[in-house]
Amino acid sequence: MENINIILPEIFLFLGTCTALMVGVFFKNSYNIVIKFTYLILLFSIISIFLSSVETSEFFLMSFVRDPFADFFKSLILISCFFVLLTSQQFIKDQKILKFEYPIIILLSILGMFFMVSSNDLILFYLGLELQSLSLYVLAAIDRNNLRSSEAGIKYFVLSALSSGLLLYGCSLLYGFTGSTNFDLIQNELITKNTGAVFAMVFILVGLAFKVSAVPFHMWTPDVYEGSPTSITNFFAVVPKIAGIAVIIRFMGKPFDNILIEWQSIMIFLSIASMILGAVAAIGQNNIKRLMAYSSIGHIGYALAGISTGTVSGYSSTVIYITIYIVMNLGAFGCIYLMRKDGLYKEQISDLSGLSKKQPLLAVSFLIIFFSLAGIPPLGGFFAKFYVFMSVIESEMYALAIIGLLTTVISAFYYIRVIKIIYFDDAKNNFDENKNFNINLTVFLSCVILLGFLIYPSILNNTVQSLF
Amino acid sequence: MIAHTIFFYFFSFIAIFSALMVITSRSTINSVFFLILDFISIGCLFIMVGAEFLGMILLIVYVGAVAVLFLFVVMMLNVAQQKQSWFIGKKSTHIPSGLIVGVLIFLELLVVIGGWKYKEGIASSSSIIINKDISNTHQLGNVMYTDYILYFQLSGIILLLSMIGAIVLTYRKRENLKRQNYFTQISREKSSSIEIKKVEFDKGVKIDD
Repeated sequence: MENINIILPEIFLFLGTCTALMVGVFFKNSYNIVIKFTYLILLFSIISIFLSSVETSEFFLMSFVRDPFADFFKSLILISCFFVLLTSQQFIKDQKILKFEYPIIILLSILGMFFMVSSNDLILFYLGLELQSLSLYVLAAIDRNNLRSSEAGIKYFVLSALSSGLLLYGCSLLYGFTGSTNFDLIQNELITKNTGAVFAMVFILVGLAFKVSAVPFHMWTPDVYEGSPTSITNFFAVVPKIAGIAVIIRFMGKPFDNILIEWQSIMIFLSIASMILGAVAAIGQNNIKRLMAYSSIGHIGYALAGISTGTVSGYSSTVIYITIYIVMNLGAFGCIYLMRKDGLYKEQISDLSGLSKKQPLLAVSFLIIFFSLAGIPPLGGFFAKFYVFMSVIESEMYALAIIGLLTTVISAFYYIRVIKIIYFDDAKNNFDENKNFNINLTVFLSCVILLGFLIYPSILNNTVQSLF
Repeated sequence: MIAHTIFFYFFSFIAIFSALMVITSRSTINSVFFLILDFISIGCLFIMVGAEFLGMILLIVYVGAVAVLFLFVVMMLNVAQQKQSWFIGKKSTHIPSGLIVGVLIFLELLVVIGGWKYKEGIASSSSIIINKDISNTHQLGNVMYTDYILYFQLSGIILLLSMIGAIVLTYRKRENLKRQNYFTQISREKSSSIEIKKVEFDKGVKIDD
């Protein structure tokens, strides 16, 4: 029975989800009950992670691993998901997507992410990934009366199924060439030269790059972000990225640790391509959701730059980067929810013009979050980029660092353009007065963290250092 | 031993022949039937190498469920119309480019597999202990609910999710649907369902007001 501590958060989450499903089925118009229940499940899951925290241990034929790294990412997933749900309530009510299955599918996708983050075995990893992405397909198409949402769902389904196929092919090749599905055993096998396993690594990396939308596997991102309801876009931009980055670090740090030379060049290419495309393609966008899509591609590029060093300091800089990225994105989407006029949600950047005269507080939030996204010095986003480039320079990868800095400057253009529209253009729209406590709280917390990171950077740094 | 060889060639020949027929036959229905034949002969090959569980699963799942589903889909579609434009219409321009990509990937795979050396004792790095005395199905049963219970449960959760997803995306709640309610139907009384009215001459009775 002591062993059950290791997998307690997963068991709790699943049982909670099943109970919520039953509640949803047997009560009429049960969305409100189920969503409150979901908050409770998320909160208690975090508590169960802390209560049951154990030393690094492996379970189920060494396939399930519980270590501080997994615990950190699981807590991050739960917290960010909590805030995503909290901010999106008003939107869901306005758009009438009040289906009780909505929070339940989100909970199931989180369960899949838990197993991805904790996996120490190809089979468990793949099952977790499938559980997660199957939920995401349904979520993208959940507003089925909306043509664009259905289109986004189909597009994501077809492309993601293809990438899952590639990934599975890579897994089977890896099993064939190393004789094991366990990460530790694969790592030991790869000490000797193994061309087939390198081939498998490429396929697996392609699949993973697709899941975190790194260039050149990013094609689905702008369309899916624009087409799905904003609440789903918010979820897509935040939660699956955490799990994706965690899994990439896990793969590169454990089974592929001994073939660093082979994957490093691929990772550098993915990183540079994502940074450049994220910076250049976002310039011409008029829709703020598309802008956020390209912005997320660019940010994933910076996160991958940290991984591509292949060192512990690089990995921890990526973890810090992705944490701050999530804080910024939660705040940014909170602001996007507030672009609401007569119950309709605006998505054009030009709708923001002259916001500072009507709603100075919202304008200041936009200012802080977008400056942070651009990486302007005193804010959190700057430190995230700073740590990544420090570790890149420590590994003497100067070309990557220089290209990264250049793309930061280019991408600052479109972030600052939004701010210019808010502060210096003529007033156009009167957004509804905002009385939504949940969104205000999230945006406020996000701004406070971004501003306060300067004072106490060591809290996050020390936590992340202790993970590896 | 010679019977074994004869059976092997017999089944492999049928498998390759029917696989070719699947992609070349003009009628879609015939294609599906050849696909079923292909599955059956591959299943027989599996049984011949001692993987009886895999062979049976292939028969049950692919022939019993998937191929029959294909047949249904094919019969639902209007195949006669589509066949015309598909085969007899203008030639597809995708074939050369697809062929080039296919050949390139095939050559790349050849390079990789050409460099493949069988490792000494390939099975030993696996963490599973294989007992050669008991059958496949028995072995699977031994580990399915013990060592691999997590995978098994997780696959179950995936199936649950796919069910929820299918319902979310297709179920439509219809308004004004008259459903049966046995309790109210049976417990109706004469007093509550019949009303006797006196009909006056040349005026009639107003119903349903």
